[in-house]
Amino acid sequence: MNAFSTFARLAWIASCVLVVATTTSPAADKVIKIGGLLPMSGPGSYFGAQDKQGIELALDQLNKSGVNGYKFEIQYEDSACSPLPASQAAKRLIDQYKPDVLIGEECSDATLAIMPIVEQAKIPLINAGSSSIKITDPGNPWTFRIMPNEVMQGVDIATNAYKRLNARTAVLLHENTNAGIGNAQVFADTFTKLGGKVLADIGFGRDVNDFTAIATRIAGMGGVDVIPTYTLEGQGLKITQALMQAGVVKGGGGKAIQLGTIWLPFGFEQKAGKAALGYIRIVQFDPTDQRPQVRDFVQAFKAKFNLEPTHLNAHAYDQILLIADVVKRGGKDAQSIRDTLAQTKDFSGVTGSVEFDKTNQNVKMDTIHYMETKPDLSWTSLKWN
Amino acid sequence: MSSIVLQQAINGIVVGSLYVLVALGLTLIYGVLVQINFAHADIVTLGAFAAYGVTHLLSGNYLAGIAAALGLGAALGWLINAGIFVPLRERGSELLPLIATIGVSIMLQNAMLALLGPIPYAFDTPYSNQVIRLGTLFLTVQNVLIILVSGVSIALLYGFMKFTFLGKALRAVSQDRETAGLMGINPGHLIMLTFVIASALAGLSGAMLGPVLVLTPFAGTSVIVKAFAIVIIGGFGNVEGTILAGLLVGLIESYTTQFLDPGLIDIVVFALLLLTLAVRPTGLIAERREENV
Repeated sequence: MNAFSTFARLAWIASCVLVVATTTSPAADKVIKIGGLLPMSGPGSYFGAQDKQGIELALDQLNKSGVNGYKFEIQYEDSACSPLPASQAAKRLIDQYKPDVLIGEECSDATLAIMPIVEQAKIPLINAGSSSIKITDPGNPWTFRIMPNEVMQGVDIATNAYKRLNARTAVLLHENTNAGIGNAQVFADTFTKLGGKVLADIGFGRDVNDFTAIATRIAGMGGVDVIPTYTLEGQGLKITQALMQAGVVKGGGGKAIQLGTIWLPFGFEQKAGKAALGYIRIVQFDPTDQRPQVRDFVQAFKAKFNLEPTHLNAHAYDQILLIADVVKRGGKDAQSIRDTLAQTKDFSGVTGSVEFDKTNQNVKMDTIHYMETKPDLSWTSLKWN
Repeated sequence: MSSIVLQQAINGIVVGSLYVLVALGLTLIYGVLVQINFAHADIVTLGAFAAYGVTHLLSGNYLAGIAAALGLGAALGWLINAGIFVPLRERGSELLPLIATIGVSIMLQNAMLALLGPIPYAFDTPYSNQVIRLGTLFLTVQNVLIILVSGVSIALLYGFMKFTFLGKALRAVSQDRETAGLMGINPGHLIMLTFVIASALAGLSGAMLGPVLVLTPFAGTSVIVKAFAIVIIGGFGNVEGTILAGLLVGLIESYTTQFLDPGLIDIVVFALLLLTLAVRPTGLIAERREENV
């Protein structure tokens, strides 16, 4: 009797567990696993720190109700903005976490190192911060880029420098990486074709700290109109201050204007001080944009972090929202997410819109926003695009 | 053109002075112990952050920041010697302290990363953007301070080593630890003093480098490789050689930037290193090992 009663009790518990398991919303079991390959150490680690904030906000919002019954999870690996750690991190993440989709890296050299690995594993990679043309040309079917590449940015900024700023001479400053060299080359080609003259092309390693010698060399060249600069934030700060001390740029009484693309985060002006006066650069995100999703994002970001969002926060946020959009359109695993991503035509994010061409490059130019630093170190949107 | 050559000489002397400050600590430890402290770079970084913190806390009092960096460096030197070098030396191993300092370095970097975050700090002292212009030449007050502090530190160290009893005792320990012990000198105390002085110099160099460096938890590592090269070019453990090599590397960097390409700096500096090793393996100032430090 006792044995029968114990058996009956166990059977009842088991059936309850079974009922609970089968009646619970399928959403609890359906998860899209996102692998985040972000630089969290080394000179590019500010990218990772700010990306994570944008991702966290997007996941908080999406996971409240899920999308098509799916929730989203992310696991990060430190890809360190450098090819070797990035490829090791990608392999580790793919082998151990088995993600449905990957996001990252920020630095072009690191992204280029990851690309063959994701192609072999057949997992889509969404990139929002690497500008090297090689990422999509030739690229591979599994890598998608939502930001404008170095050619789109370089041609645009060189044309604006020549036509809007009436610049006729330029000195190029860049780190010696794929992205640094590529960005500078595109600027030089476009600027020269338009009739401008490149006085010097100065490349340097990431270990250079003191830029006074470089600023001295530029000061010795005389009339320089624009100085397109392609570096990470730390070196960017030192360059801008050295150019001011050498009297080359507006902040130091000179007439040259520094130009930049999306490498620098917001807040750069405050750190550089008056040296940043007149600096014109492309950012991927305009917080003064009046579209409702931008206003909502800015408000939600401030509420969560008590900070103004940067373009890095914004493009990381857009990466997650794009994944959610793909899941809404039927993406559920690596293959279907890739196929659906490739068909993206009218995604509207906080940085701008997304439509991929045959190489998986976003062709929309509304992700390019120009800003200029004012004397009080605030900035103004130039509305050039 | 001559003004540019002169300007680049000034730039080179400023950078060289910073390298000398970092390399002197390394050369002191090597001269006395024949050991390398890989955590030296991180003491430089901590010195920079200490100077940054105190300067900001005291509303721009950079001199208090320098003093704090010096003190922190000295304290860390004492701690690393007492906690790592002394116990491992007692075991008679030459390799273990070397590996232990790599561990300390990684630990300090990650602790700083967790505590201070990865985003570069802008360390502007009240002197960073005060520019002195003499015709076409320019120099910030910060650069003048760097040259002054480096010069005074080098003079004080030189005077200490050559003319004080402790300095002479320290040189005696570096020449022959056992015999120095038999003469009544306590080598343990002198080794501790070496660590304290070397690490205080690292902290001081951090305070001077902070406004020049891209200030992140990895800042010190960007100069330490050059500092090692300077120690080798100058002659292992040779103070005068280190000073000469530091200034030479600073000048080479400036002139390479002006007349060649800044992307070639490392190639030129490390070619000089290889040339020194091939032609003059004892370093620029070749002395007998026992006369070093």
